Amino acid sequence: MTTIKYYWEDFIPGWENESPPRALSAQQITVFAREYDPQSYHTDEEAAKASPFGGLIASGWQTCSVAMRLMCDGYLLQSSCIGSPGMDELRWFKPVRPGDALRLHTTVIEQTPSQKDARRGTVKFRWDVLNQKAEVVCTMVGRQHYRRRAAAQ
Amino acid sequence: MTKHKTAQGKYYFEDFAPGDVWEMESPVITREEMVEFASRFDPQYFHVDEEAARHSHGGLIASGWHTVSICMRLACDRYLLDTVGLGSPGVSHLRWLRPVRPGDRLRLRTTVIEARISRSKPDRGTIENRWEVFNQAGELVMTMEIQGILCRRQHGPAA
Repeated sequence: MTTIKYYWEDFIPGWENESPPRALSAQQITVFAREYDPQSYHTDEEAAKASPFGGLIASGWQTCSVAMRLMCDGYLLQSSCIGSPGMDELRWFKPVRPGDALRLHTTVIEQTPSQKDARRGTVKFRWDVLNQKAEVVCTMVGRQHYRRRAAAQ
Repeated sequence: MTKHKTAQGKYYFEDFAPGDVWEMESPVITREEMVEFASRFDPQYFHVDEEAARHSHGGLIASGWHTVSICMRLACDRYLLDTVGLGSPGVSHLRWLRPVRPGDRLRLRTTVIEARISRSKPDRGTIENRWEVFNQAGELVMTMEIQGILCRRQHGPAA
């Protein structure tokens, strides 16, 4: 565990974070898809060309998984996060294609202390996944649980 | 569910009616694959570090995205690969209710909750499915509602 920089208290509404980008190769797309989402437009270049998508696209679950990694890189691994109860909403707006470089823009929507445990709190976030053209390809709204700084000291 | 199979072995929008239920089961999820997935996508300590996870989470737990991905594979193998579809616009109410741990087996139950024909593009429709994921003890570990866009049979596959 690295040093904790962000506790529940730090995620005030309006707080923002921009992750570094990560590029996605055709090989990464097909490797993920063969394991978890082997629909032909995720696994097979030729079949994907003939599909309505006109070429290989990443599984939406890979986009979410990469977003999770970007979140880790951006702030999460430096935080007191102890897990997530889920996502209220998740939208895939645009296909993610080989060579796309994704980055994550995080915004805090709401900060709620735990009713049951004074050492914890919940933060509601909006996460936008953007490609290299600054187009939003995916958006998530969800919550994460954090330990409070007061409890750690 | 074989009653839905067409001569081509494909499912279309018409083959999913509200109330339809599909069930499928995963193999045992190993510690190695949990850690491997998390190392790539979600390297929080409670997904990758057994010792640290023991103190905070009672042991290693799977990344929620790994749980979803495993279930996606189950749905692909059971019916999605035989479905003429155009992908998914999104998901609502994704809930990770209980941890998934090494050695767990998951059972996915999908229930069609809504089927509506597109007003702007009559060659397709949206199917909304509720996914419920149980562990081997029958406990609910994850739920969500996922939308899929499917082609209508009489219009054939999209060009």
